[in-house]
Amino acid sequence: MPFNGKSGKFNAAIRTVEIGTGDKAVKLGGENVLPFYTFDAPIENAPKIGVMITDMGLENEVAGIKDYYNGCTSFAEIAKKAEEMPGADFVVLRFEGADPNGENKSVEDCVAIAKEVGDAITAPLVIEGCKNVEKDAELFAKVAEALQGKNVLILSAREENYKGVAAAAGLAYNQKVGAESAVDINLAKQLNVLIGQLGVDQGNVVMNVGSAAAGYGFEYVVSTMDRIKAAALSQNDAQLQMPIITPVAEEAWSVKEAMASEADMPEWGSQEERGIDMEVETAAAVLASGSNAVILKHPTSVATISKLIKELV
Amino acid sequence: MAKFVVIGERLSTTAPAINRAFTERDPEPILKRAKQQLDAGATYLDVNIGPAENDGPELMKWAVELLQGNFDNVPLALDTSNVAAIEAGISVYNRAKGKPIVNSADAAGRIEYIDLAAANDAIVIALCNGEGIAKDNDERMMYMQTMMERGMEHGMAVDEDMWFDPLFLVIKGMQDKQMQVLEFIKMISDMGMQSTGGLSNNSNGMPKHIRPIMDSAMVAMAMMNGLTSAIVNPNDLRLMETIKSCDIIKNNNLYADSYLEI
Repeated sequence: MPFNGKSGKFNAAIRTVEIGTGDKAVKLGGENVLPFYTFDAPIENAPKIGVMITDMGLENEVAGIKDYYNGCTSFAEIAKKAEEMPGADFVVLRFEGADPNGENKSVEDCVAIAKEVGDAITAPLVIEGCKNVEKDAELFAKVAEALQGKNVLILSAREENYKGVAAAAGLAYNQKVGAESAVDINLAKQLNVLIGQLGVDQGNVVMNVGSAAAGYGFEYVVSTMDRIKAAALSQNDAQLQMPIITPVAEEAWSVKEAMASEADMPEWGSQEERGIDMEVETAAAVLASGSNAVILKHPTSVATISKLIKELV
Repeated sequence: MAKFVVIGERLSTTAPAINRAFTERDPEPILKRAKQQLDAGATYLDVNIGPAENDGPELMKWAVELLQGNFDNVPLALDTSNVAAIEAGISVYNRAKGKPIVNSADAAGRIEYIDLAAANDAIVIALCNGEGIAKDNDERMMYMQTMMERGMEHGMAVDEDMWFDPLFLVIKGMQDKQMQVLEFIKMISDMGMQSTGGLSNNSNGMPKHIRPIMDSAMVAMAMMNGLTSAIVNPNDLRLMETIKSCDIIKNNNLYADSYLEI
């Protein structure tokens, strides 16, 4: 009997979702193999990198980030610089300041910033909220309306506000919809089902299945992503074949390894290097677990992960 | 494990309306039943054109193109004793959504259907039967081995492309054989092989309102023992709910609150 080598290529595939318009539009997903298994079948769309900027400007950022954006005085200039960052595929605008428990910026102010950023760049744009479900629902609807025609990804609809967010972004204004669950495989699937039942084309949905910095319950993140990719590919589960995007920067830069000052922890060495290490390690790990895109902020992290992806795909 | 594969049985010449539609090449009743089955959760559709001695090849080609053209290359089981018709069906078959299934071979007069499937890179349903119904599991196993060897001789991936049918037996008349059939499913499963069969045969002759109940109980017990597929009526809601629930318990499908709706 002749030997038949078996390929690990699946009969199912992750859906391809395009964000942005024109030459710089990016495609997420599309693969029919496990992450980076290019020896089983070609991976047409390599994982992508988004560069995160926030509505809070640069004040709270580390020196390396401030240096990179040196001279930028407006959101438009910061955004422009972000899209030019070597290794960047898209820009992520995060409305940290919209949080009612923080700066509580008005929806109108946020929409103005979104428009300024949207008009300044040609790279695809992803919008992140402040995690307050009511405020985000209001904010996302207005931003989705203001950025019509730009094919942005709204990150994200959650269990508590998916009706409003998915209906505005996915149905009324024809943007892409992020479906966010916090490291809960059953909810990740359920949310996709519910968004589909609203009438949103499942080809317009990207999942954020949750993240954590490496070392902070990260095993759950990995097992969640593993199970989702297994369901999507080996069980051909249409409700889980959405590409995955993982916001890494906000998790990685908010753990003690990245935040403790050198004065407090001299034996840990440079604070900025620690932050970069956390960001790179977390991003590499979620990519290896199946993320189709990661959101980072430090230029060194973006360059490192970009090189990693280029070497592997 | 992969999800249980439901093969919809309702496109069959045994149904007078479908028989007429095949004969007259009338798409409407066929498409209607196909859609009902797919909406209810069927993965494969069985296309039983009967012996079709006169125009088998032409009829099967027509049916394959009709169904795959209208339902995004739905995968099909080609069910006829007419070898030329199966070959003709495969010649126009699109594999995008799954290999064609040859329905069916046995260990006696229809063993050559295995060769046919192997030659065409198709799946074959292999009935663990020779001449007449096997008297016990030793005999079933012997038939199974015979067919596996045949498949291997022809280079088939027997653990993927041979789906062994234990032959479900009617309870009214062969009640004492039911556990034997279930045990045989376990034997197939323990060998790492796929299985399928005409499950509703067990409830043949029972009152109409009883059959979904008996079929659901049978499918649950059979799935517990490792049955990987069945040829059933997907429009039997109770049966489909049972299959979907068993798929969750077996971790063949990831749970979500709406699992019955999808």
